[in-house]
Amino acid sequence: MDNLIKDGNKQHPQIDFNAQTGQLEISGRSIPENSYDFYNPLLQWLEQYQDQPQKETQLKIYLEYFNTSSSKYILEVLKKLKEIEKSGSAVTIAWHFDMDDEEMMETGEDYEDITGLNFNFIEEEE
Amino acid sequence: MAKRKRKENIYLKEKEKLQRAQGFLNTKKNDKPEAATMELQNITDDYEELLDQTVLITRISDRLQKKLDQTNDQLNDKNIELQNTIDDLVKAKVGRKATTIVFIFALILFVFSEALIEPYIESYANDIYLSLAIKALIAMSIKPVEMLVENTMLKKARRKTMDKRVI
Repeated sequence: MDNLIKDGNKQHPQIDFNAQTGQLEISGRSIPENSYDFYNPLLQWLEQYQDQPQKETQLKIYLEYFNTSSSKYILEVLKKLKEIEKSGSAVTIAWHFDMDDEEMMETGEDYEDITGLNFNFIEEEE
Repeated sequence: MAKRKRKENIYLKEKEKLQRAQGFLNTKKNDKPEAATMELQNITDDYEELLDQTVLITRISDRLQKKLDQTNDQLNDKNIELQNTIDDLVKAKVGRKATTIVFIFALILFVFSEALIEPYIESYANDIYLSLAIKALIAMSIKPVEMLVENTMLKKARRKTMDKRVI
């Protein structure tokens, strides 16, 4: 299975989904013009990954800022990971946030409550 | 229109679920209690999912709005600070210019008094007190002249800044 790598810019986050290691990463800013076009390939990739997941899957999320439609797709990604967890892979979410960004931490907590996934909160010094 | 349609793709899954439920209502299958119960269960699950999503998105949006408001307030404060600093800089610049002008003015007055007034007093009045009084008058006129020059230049600089803002 191919890895999914997308370079980030001012509007799109950087994506690095590695099917061989089970290490997935979304980082940067997420304010795409069209969230569907950006996130749908990620969901499709996860759909494929679900067939042969690694024993351990870790998603690192380190977002500086994201818009409302991105927040919906992040939830979709996490739900997909919940399904992967149900099919046998140990899934952890590393939720990174800047030291003074309390709101981002609270957002991670909301995602944790809704998805029931195992979240690790990591504070980053700016 | 196309942009709006593209944005609506975000809710493609939800639309499909709605269409499925509407389709069920329009078929005769809904007469069977087992099928109706199953469909109700599906709709309840979908509704729960949608409610979770709505709660999450509302919280995130509120947080984002708060953050943007705070950033906006900070930006306004910084703008005021910047404006004050610019005003101070303009004042300092104008002050320096005014001092130079007044210095030249004082120099001219001094030369004028030494070259023209002093010999005149010496030849006609020969009064040292009169000579000192004239020099003191010249010295005392420097400060008001400096203030006048500075205020005029400051007004000019402010008008220039206002004109730039209007453009």
